Amino acid sequence: MPLYYFDTDVGGDRLHDEEGLDLPDVAAARDAAMGALPDMARDELGSGDRHTLTVRVRDASGTVVYSATLDLTGEWHVPQTVT
Amino acid sequence: MPDPSFFTDEPQLTPLLRKLRSITRLSARDEQAILRLPAHPRVFTAGQDLVSEGDRSTQCWLVLKGWVQRYKLLSGGRRQISAFHVAGDMADLPSLHLPVMDHSLGAVTNVMAASIPHEALRELLERHPDLNAPFWRDTLVDAAIFREWVANVGRRPAYQRLAHLFCELYLKQAAVGLAQDHRCPMPVTQVDLADATGLTSVHINRTLRDLRRDKLIDLRSKTLVIHDWTRLVEAAEFDPTYLQLDRTLAA
Repeated sequence: MPLYYFDTDVGGDRLHDEEGLDLPDVAAARDAAMGALPDMARDELGSGDRHTLTVRVRDASGTVVYSATLDLTGEWHVPQTVT
Repeated sequence: MPDPSFFTDEPQLTPLLRKLRSITRLSARDEQAILRLPAHPRVFTAGQDLVSEGDRSTQCWLVLKGWVQRYKLLSGGRRQISAFHVAGDMADLPSLHLPVMDHSLGAVTNVMAASIPHEALRELLERHPDLNAPFWRDTLVDAAIFREWVANVGRRPAYQRLAHLFCELYLKQAAVGLAQDHRCPMPVTQVDLADATGLTSVHINRTLRDLRRDKLIDLRSKTLVIHDWTRLVEAAEFDPTYLQLDRTLAA
């Protein structure tokens, strides 16, 4: 099975994947990238109302084959004293 | 760390004694009876099932070397691992009373396991009724571990979840002499860790990076090194009570 690398960026905190994942094809890599976004987002809910998470998929040759971004945005509609 | 049994002529079933001694007290007579159980060793390669969901068991598998996992396969190749077992664990002891497997038992690494016929276990428990309590206690501790895993998978954030799993697997191995000095075998892939914690492999990769960056652990060459046990325990909110390793409390 081909190896795909998943670089991630959560609010500027980047991780260059050096492990990679064996997956059957690029469609499975796409699914893994999409699936990772809500998984990672769940851990960001405690802080702030604006989050941008990105996953970028590279194949073994280093070519970026897919990327996905999740913007998680909350907005207050009443005055807030504490954020 | 080398398997202690590799260098000695200790009886084949000694790992089971170590396991039971870690959670309960045994009389010398009962220990001898356990060591006399008929057991047939067999080697499994990584990825192979010892017993599969739907199988009807007539024996229990005692892990002698290597790691075994309990898991369920779902549609689309999704997998949930519900336990890791190490040398001394009789991972399918419940099959003595629940012979049709409702989950599978698979080899994580190459595994040496001994099959012990149900018939022989029943006979042992009839002749040595004092052994009913230790075996019952063993299955109850496993159930307590499952409860902890439900809390882990259901409610803990990824960082805490993985930290908790590492605390448990270190203590579990240390209790039977397979780990010491905050260093232990961890022969699992990121995919295994993901399937055990209900996280994606991509998130596991990030979470491992975070644990390393915070200087709590290192995971390299299938070995977990815990740099700061106290902080790892705090990060995990780990309370080892559920492992019931204080055998002085055993009935």
